Amino acid sequence: MKTKLVALATAAVFAAQGALAQDMVFTSWGGTTQDAQMAHWAAPFTEKGGPAVVADGPTDYGKIKAMVEAGAVSWDVVDAEYDWALQAGKAGLLEPLDFTVIDKTKLDPRFVSDFAVGSFYYSFVLGWNPANFTGDQPATLADLFDTAKFPGKRTFYKWSAPGVIEAALLADGVAPDALYPLDLDRAFAKLDTIKADIIWWEGGAQSQQLLASGEAPIGFFWNGRLAALAADGMPVGISWDQNITAADALVVPKGAANKEAAMKFIAEATSAEGQAAFAATTGYAPINLGSADLMDPAVRATLPDAQTAVQVNADMAYWAEHRDEIGNRWYAWQAQ
Amino acid sequence: MLSAIAARRRGSGLGFAMPAILLLLAFFVVPVAALLTRSVTEPEPGLQNYVTLLGNSTYARIFFNTFFVSAVVTLITVLIAFPVAWALAIMPRRWAGVIFAIILLSMWTNLLARTYAWMVLLQQTGLINRSLMALGLIDAPLQLTNNLVGVTIGMVYIMLPFMILPLMGVIKKIDPAILQAAALCGATKAQALWRVLVPLAAPGIASGALMVFVMSLGYYVTPSLLGGTANMMLAELIAQQVQSLLNWGMGGAAAFVLLVVTLGLYAVQLRFFEPGEGR
Repeated sequence: MKTKLVALATAAVFAAQGALAQDMVFTSWGGTTQDAQMAHWAAPFTEKGGPAVVADGPTDYGKIKAMVEAGAVSWDVVDAEYDWALQAGKAGLLEPLDFTVIDKTKLDPRFVSDFAVGSFYYSFVLGWNPANFTGDQPATLADLFDTAKFPGKRTFYKWSAPGVIEAALLADGVAPDALYPLDLDRAFAKLDTIKADIIWWEGGAQSQQLLASGEAPIGFFWNGRLAALAADGMPVGISWDQNITAADALVVPKGAANKEAAMKFIAEATSAEGQAAFAATTGYAPINLGSADLMDPAVRATLPDAQTAVQVNADMAYWAEHRDEIGNRWYAWQAQ
Repeated sequence: MLSAIAARRRGSGLGFAMPAILLLLAFFVVPVAALLTRSVTEPEPGLQNYVTLLGNSTYARIFFNTFFVSAVVTLITVLIAFPVAWALAIMPRRWAGVIFAIILLSMWTNLLARTYAWMVLLQQTGLINRSLMALGLIDAPLQLTNNLVGVTIGMVYIMLPFMILPLMGVIKKIDPAILQAAALCGATKAQALWRVLVPLAAPGIASGALMVFVMSLGYYVTPSLLGGTANMMLAELIAQQVQSLLNWGMGGAAAFVLLVVTLGLYAVQLRFFEPGEGR
């Protein structure tokens, strides 16, 4: 009896391992964004005969590096920031993408490279809580830095990433085509003028909470998070003037167990249908040029895609090159 | 007979501890050693990570913040926990049980949930500020988060049980008759407290304070959510270096300095308050 049980248990364990080996793992940042990715990318992928997709997260660059170095990579596809992906590709942490499986001819060329393709792209936009400003409403990035005209705390993304430094320079009068190479001295000098009034947000949910509660009545947000607040019926001010685009990337860590399935998953995720459905749910923009035709024009009008005339593209290649240097300076400045 | 059992127990103690020792060896000692190795080999062999860490004014400030916040939290925790532990020790058993359960229950609630709760209470539009303004006690909201005040409140609250438990253990063993004796001998209440009760409870205070101080040194979630970047602590620096900048060498160096300080403090405590004394 006992041996039978042991044999059964052993068989069960092996069966479970077999199932695990076939499943592939998709890691992203959690929350509503990853839910949408699972619903619009993973579910159709499995339905069309692909393996089951297990969600994991949040994305952690330190963990990716550790897994690759240890040769035990449990993540197959990861949603990462685009500038990090470019840097990590160069550093040998990623698999080159298989463009015989992924059709790159339909993808926005801004978000295609050897080791990464766009997952979606988004804009940092000026947002405010209209309840806190009775008179003039904020309109430009300069207003974001004008504590006399628009008093109160302002909230910015805490981590070193494309966006806030560009905003400081644009607010200080730098022309969009003269942004790069970034003048860090000038950017930090501008940020110094409002440093005491900054509350940092670490994640999207926190940024929404700060704005909705009026704790920080004005700030610089991911456009999708403001769209979600507005969809919930909260009055929210959005100015697209000089919205700064950045993107997430889909990457495959070097040595991933299900490399082939990973490439097919990325093909599905970047398809016109997958991108269109994801964009409609999240308010982020598709990176497949064919998605626009599949979408409701009313929905399209709310995406960064419709704001290209007033858009400033963060230079991902520049960031990939200078990520560490800017990061060290950014965190040292924050801690001062 | 009894001494024979005691002797056997002493001899086989190591065997009983073996699973825990092996677990710690495999999942703590080895990874820590690997991280420390990286601190002197990445990005290139040498001590440059330590030179940067100890020579840079920003990092010096982070070290200072870490020790300052931990010291303030420890001090306030002792001041709040001592009366609570004393009250629990002399209270009727049933009441003590209820209050003890409340303290434990708070410990079992998710740390992140508790910290978010403090965020909601302390923020400018939070319950505390709104109530104070409604009562007319203040005109403008007080700044209670994103600074030292927020970190201190959040951490003291989380650390309290770790101070109350060891204190209670010691205070319970103190015979209340000692205080009567002190009073009979003419000691004032203050004298009875400072010259009788506190010295007798000293081992409990010391072990509780050490635990709270050391835990505070390495704390991450609460300072990161309730503090501003200007009060950054060491654990945040390590997370930044490892996760965001992939600079494991620097992260490892910071972790090593923290470890050395912690072991040093432990050595001091062992020297002055040997385990077992007063228990």
